[in-house]
Amino acid sequence: MSRLEFHDVHKSFRAVKALRGVSFTVEDGEAHAIVGENGAGKSTLLRILAGSVTPDQGELRLDGERLRMHAPRDALSRGIGVVHQELLAFPNLSVTANVFAGREIVGRGGRLQERVMRERTRELLARLHLDVSPDAPMESLSAAHRQLVQVARALIFECRILALDEPTTSLTDGETDHLFAILEGLRQRGLTLIYVSHRLPEVFRLCDRITVLRDGTFVGTLRRSEVATADVVRAMVGRDLPPRELTAPSAAAATRLALSGLSRRPCFEGISLTLRAGEIVGVFGLVGSGRSELLETLVGLHAADEGAIEIDGRAVRFSSPREAARAGLVLVPEDRQRQGLLFNLALADNLALPRAEAAGDIVVKRDRERRSGEALLAEWRIKASGLDTTPDTLSGGNQQKVVLARWLATGPKVLLLDEPTKGVDVGAKYEIHGMVRRVAAEGAASLVVSSDLPEILGLADRILVMREGRLQGEIAAAQATEENVMHMATHEKGEAA
Amino acid sequence: MSWLWRVREMRTVIILLAEIAFFTWYLWPEAGRSHPFLNGPNALLILKYSSIYGIAAVGAAIVIISGGVDLSPGAVIALAGVVAGKLFVEGGYALSASLLAGLAVGVLAGAVTAALVVMVGLPPFIATLGMMGIARGAAFVITEGRFFDVSGKLPPGWQPMGIPIAWLAPAVMILLAVVFQVVMHRFQWGRAVYAIGGNETAALYSGIAVGKVKTSIYLLAATLAAVAGIVLSVVQGQGKADLATGYELDIIASAVVGGASLSGGRGSVLGAVLGTLIFGVLRNALPQIPGATFYDRLIVGLVVIVIVVMDQLMARRGK
Repeated sequence: MSRLEFHDVHKSFRAVKALRGVSFTVEDGEAHAIVGENGAGKSTLLRILAGSVTPDQGELRLDGERLRMHAPRDALSRGIGVVHQELLAFPNLSVTANVFAGREIVGRGGRLQERVMRERTRELLARLHLDVSPDAPMESLSAAHRQLVQVARALIFECRILALDEPTTSLTDGETDHLFAILEGLRQRGLTLIYVSHRLPEVFRLCDRITVLRDGTFVGTLRRSEVATADVVRAMVGRDLPPRELTAPSAAAATRLALSGLSRRPCFEGISLTLRAGEIVGVFGLVGSGRSELLETLVGLHAADEGAIEIDGRAVRFSSPREAARAGLVLVPEDRQRQGLLFNLALADNLALPRAEAAGDIVVKRDRERRSGEALLAEWRIKASGLDTTPDTLSGGNQQKVVLARWLATGPKVLLLDEPTKGVDVGAKYEIHGMVRRVAAEGAASLVVSSDLPEILGLADRILVMREGRLQGEIAAAQATEENVMHMATHEKGEAA
Repeated sequence: MSWLWRVREMRTVIILLAEIAFFTWYLWPEAGRSHPFLNGPNALLILKYSSIYGIAAVGAAIVIISGGVDLSPGAVIALAGVVAGKLFVEGGYALSASLLAGLAVGVLAGAVTAALVVMVGLPPFIATLGMMGIARGAAFVITEGRFFDVSGKLPPGWQPMGIPIAWLAPAVMILLAVVFQVVMHRFQWGRAVYAIGGNETAALYSGIAVGKVKTSIYLLAATLAAVAGIVLSVVQGQGKADLATGYELDIIASAVVGGASLSGGRGSVLGAVLGTLIFGVLRNALPQIPGATFYDRLIVGLVVIVIVVMDQLMARRGK
């Protein structure tokens, strides 16, 4: 008998139909992947499983019995643990407190059994080969360790089904390996895994069966042994993706951006580079290599210690993103929730704001903004119920398109992109890359920071590698492979392969 | 976006009309006697006393929309009135010069608050709490417990710009409410205020001059409080250090009843001004109900909670 069954599940958020009649089963003890483009309904499905969202229609069955859940604690008490994409953690509390949050062990009179909880956390952390003190504050942990603490939280309540939503988004390869070793171990002990990811190599590595969703509908459940990556991509996107063509920009193009010896210690030091019109340059480096700080310093969010910045041959130094945008230098930030979107304003305002501010408008030009807003929705193929809706009604991928569209609408000369497709699926990623290439073809110079190596390889004309705040070297797109870029990013200069 | 705000303000208008209808019915007089609540002079009285709150509420609403809070308007109202009163009554200055000086004190108070919030980085609650104490304290220091009788020195039948003195305060309030309603919805500055209140980091990345906009917000709020103060000194005819005590909380309550969210990013200037009218009607009508005198603070408190809860329920159903 199947362990978990989704039966004709429907869910709408206002006008957006997130799920329309999804049915499939998860077998006992298997690792089951759920894949799909952004907006396909994966996250909604997991939120239903976690008990934080109730379906409009349809039901979930656990061991053949209908599941009725009203809150996340109902799911936990039935042995379903869900690790969400947005890390739901209390950064100011200890690891132990995070593991037991909401379900603390209490003694007589409601006194917390601190010692018991700390011991159980210690045991569990040891079992997960996690070298972290149970007393360490959550905020002192790396992203990978925080993710694993969330797994520990699910495990401490003896869950039989563990569901993970995009757990590797902010992890390095080594950390991903660690997580996978743990997941593999858990599965061998009989745990049923549900794994939601955009990253097909991971899915193929871990999972036995793959359920594909598209536009809130169920496409099919595929057996890993019977399909190839291309089959899954086709099922997700509903079409074949054309391969990318390499178009090298002419070397004679004018220099748009030039940095010489730019430093902000201890984040980065001695950065010199030039960007030509029409060029897309990738910057690859591990988290903590100083990439984001470099971009933030360029637009004036931090002050540089030394070094010079030139745009179109003129020396510049900005003290705010406003000044930078007025000079044609725009940063599309990494974190759409925190830095990218205004959730209290309509899409029309979100799309229009950076352009209006850069142009120095005094009066809000509503009619013009509506027209250009409609055009942007169509051009970027943003799925939204209209310009009057707020960004929270959009799926992650569509939110990311809004983030890119609003800054590209300023018509920048130099475009700085920080993780432009973070947490975005194949189809949306492909469309975003297409737009970045188009902007480049129109003469802008782009600097793309990404920890997604295939993205850098697929998008950039040349690749700069950063390590511990310094530029390690440069590799032309034609010569670049995952191996030589990764090697440069993780080894000292001149160190043998 | 704009139609949504308009719907919100319609709710506040409906509450106000319902309130007026209720008191009209409840206080209906015996045959042959005039209505104690529903009559022209009483309406003007309500408008006149609400305007002092209303003028300051325009600024307070903008502060709240930007994600801040302002605890100083009551004290700044008193200080501006006292400064204008002292210069006019004891200093022998012209009325216009005295009023301008009162206004300047407001600008100064706003500049200090803005510097504390924007440059020092104090939370607005703390900065304006401090300013509340400083402004109120300065007012007491200036008056040394006396009050300045402005009305005694005003020329009889004086009409500033042809407006009868009873109409002065409501006229200023309505003018400011309309002007800033338009500014908040048709000007880039107003949208920037909403953006900062919604997500300050994203506003900064979007190219909004966050520091400058926030500075202008606190300058404006204190200046409008000073406007309320000098209008009060002329209309009520005195400058006194303990005037407008506790107004700050009533003003915040009005903004919230008018649809503002204390977590920022939501609200409206017009709604806040309508909110002050809702409380103005309550303060006027309750004392006319026999036995209700001691209940009026209690009822005001209940009304705040009932209206905000209703508003949230409707917003939830709207989703």
